[in-house]
Amino acid sequence: MTHRIQVGMLFIIMHLSFSYLIYPDLIYRLTKTSHWEVILCQGLMQLILLWIYYKGLNYFPDKNVIEIYLKIGKWAAIIFLTPYVINLIAIVGFNLRLHAEVINDVFLPRTPYWSILILLFFISVYTAIKGLDTILRSSVIIFFIVIPLIFFNIFSSFTNFDLHSVSPVWDSPLKFLFNIKYFYLMGFSSFLILGFISSGANSNFCQIFAVFVSVVLFSLSAVYIPLFIFGQETVTTLAYPFLEAINSVDISWFIFNRQTMVFGISLVGLVILANAVLLWMSGHIMQKTYKWKTMEAAYWIILLSVIAFVVALVVPHQSLVEKFFLWSTGAQTYFMIIIPSFIFLYGSLSKGGLVGYDKK
Amino acid sequence: MRNSVKEIKTKFSTQGDFFIEEESYDKMSCYLIGFKTLIDLPKTKLYIQQMGESCTSKSALLGKLSEETNVNTEQLIKGILEGKLVIVTKDGKENAIVDPIVQNLNSSIGEPKNESPVHSSTDAFVEDINTNVGMLRKRLNTDRLCHCTYQVGELDKRRLSMLYINGKAPNDLVNKIHHQLNQIDSDIETIDDLNKRFEKRRLSPVSHFSATELPIQAIHSLKKNRIVLFMDNYPFALVFPNLILDMFSTENDRNFPFILTFMLRFFRVIGAVATVIFPALYVALVSVNPGIFRTDLALFVAKSREGIPLSAFLETIAMVVLVDLILEAIVRLPKSVGPAITMVGGIILGQAVVEANLVSNLLVIVITAVVIASSAVIGMQNSLYIRLLKYPILVLASLFGILGVFIGFIFTIIYLASLTSDDIPYLTLRFEHKGDTK
Repeated sequence: MTHRIQVGMLFIIMHLSFSYLIYPDLIYRLTKTSHWEVILCQGLMQLILLWIYYKGLNYFPDKNVIEIYLKIGKWAAIIFLTPYVINLIAIVGFNLRLHAEVINDVFLPRTPYWSILILLFFISVYTAIKGLDTILRSSVIIFFIVIPLIFFNIFSSFTNFDLHSVSPVWDSPLKFLFNIKYFYLMGFSSFLILGFISSGANSNFCQIFAVFVSVVLFSLSAVYIPLFIFGQETVTTLAYPFLEAINSVDISWFIFNRQTMVFGISLVGLVILANAVLLWMSGHIMQKTYKWKTMEAAYWIILLSVIAFVVALVVPHQSLVEKFFLWSTGAQTYFMIIIPSFIFLYGSLSKGGLVGYDKK
Repeated sequence: MRNSVKEIKTKFSTQGDFFIEEESYDKMSCYLIGFKTLIDLPKTKLYIQQMGESCTSKSALLGKLSEETNVNTEQLIKGILEGKLVIVTKDGKENAIVDPIVQNLNSSIGEPKNESPVHSSTDAFVEDINTNVGMLRKRLNTDRLCHCTYQVGELDKRRLSMLYINGKAPNDLVNKIHHQLNQIDSDIETIDDLNKRFEKRRLSPVSHFSATELPIQAIHSLKKNRIVLFMDNYPFALVFPNLILDMFSTENDRNFPFILTFMLRFFRVIGAVATVIFPALYVALVSVNPGIFRTDLALFVAKSREGIPLSAFLETIAMVVLVDLILEAIVRLPKSVGPAITMVGGIILGQAVVEANLVSNLLVIVITAVVIASSAVIGMQNSLYIRLLKYPILVLASLFGILGVFIGFIFTIIYLASLTSDDIPYLTLRFEHKGDTK
């Protein structure tokens, strides 16, 4: 099992963890017809950013984002990365709260959501503390558990499909590009992680592209399954369309009453791993940037996760959580534009000898 | 030098089996010194006499009997402790440490007692370290098989051997282990003592070594770039590093056609997973999430628990502990009593408990399945540790139901993924770091 395959699997897991709850809902609000245009457009733009990021990182072989910023100067790392850590913490908090409530609904409607929140936090933090290698290794096994379950959900939902629900398929005006929600939508990606794993691991853009295409296919399925089952009018009224779509499927030979259980299980696997990665990233950034009294990354991770937990706990109700979550993904879009282009510019300038960066 | 005999005599005066015998041959008269329990004295005397007939002088005889002649008293004492025969001439001027004819204290090569290979050669390692290494050399005729020996310990110098194939085992790993073994300064009695010398894993149920009794398995591990350690008086080969696949695959499987091999290994994986999650799944489905079954199935489950006073969690944990107790009891008892426990246990668990309405029928089925499944994996230590892993998941299941089962399972996976021995992850599927051929 090479490192590169592990990274690819982790990449898919992280994207999937974002794409099932809020993502379809956001797309339905952006457009009434031809949803694939939005998804492809978003995918294309993310891919362009990813390419810039990739090119930028290639100027600095065997260095990760933090080391590149530290090379420019400590001020750069503090100015650019500290807000990003705050952003990550917000994402972790709201993401876990959101998922805790959904998981609560699926499995244990009578249990208070905070107990599930504690459980999810505990495991994510434990994984994050164990470090990137552990995350990568466990991502392989979790990938092989979760992906078959997701495929099972996708294929079992075919029984309820109604092809007329999605027409019209073609709609040309790209109005959605100027909607603020599209900006939020752009943040539903976590490709920035690639720069934190030493960039030697992902040297081939073709492979990244292949992984990215599969991610886009999963996003398409997440949006179109509810659409095929309910149609646009119904879908906009539902809180979590994908969840409801899976819930509507009934297979007579299956021993469980509801398909949602299978979906819930896969969601747990995804969310634990994705948040562990985000926590690891933020802990790693803080430790390398501040180097405060030889404080280890583990302590930073615990500290930051406590903050995230408090953030997740104090938000009073669910609609507010969703709103905040969208804001934090919007903020992530900003970092997804800033960090890659900055690294790209710095790399190309120093390559030309303007900054005097010595490649050795 | 005569006082060296005296010194030895006072040193061993408390040992009942220690002897100093005066013996005179035609060329010399001397003292023979050693332990009766380790040396077959009459045969050794005969041997020395026969050797003496062909020699012309005293020193020629001593030179012929041994390469270690005229050494100091300390070395003589060491030689005696190692079971050698020490010869000191009467004038005390010359001495020699001779390899005597030994009392046979070793069991002969027999069948494996802890593993039962099917379709395979059936000899197993024995206590004597040299025999074990010899068994490997006999089967692996290559000059690339390297063998390093160590004597470690404070009170008792225990012999350790490290074997690897040059060019296959990674060089840096070999050097690291060499270094770690050389650093040992306390007595090594058990595998756990040895384990502590490697990375710290005090509370971990997973050892750094996988122990095997079968020479074939040890050779297969050597060929797969791993390192084999032997401890003196311990009839197992310790394969380093221990990987998760050791639990599921053995080389013997491959004596069958590929598809059967695959089937066997697949069943072992199912066995391990079932052991870990089945009891927890029962608790979750019966007490926390009964609603997720289809109606007919849910009714069946509910019916099987009718009139049972214990909660599902208590019922399950009691049964699981009871079964683990029985498994342990069978190991401890003499072989003639073991079957009785099996029978009594079977009747109590299978019938009496159900008839008394203490636990449900369904649970007995689940428990039986788990016991069988946990024995499907290879190696006693692996079977034990997956039996341990089910308890935390059981507790989580009683709190969070299905969610608890799955989170517990993921937690277990993450925990196993975090284990490394000398930077080699436990979950490595294929250990392929080839060393440089020198």
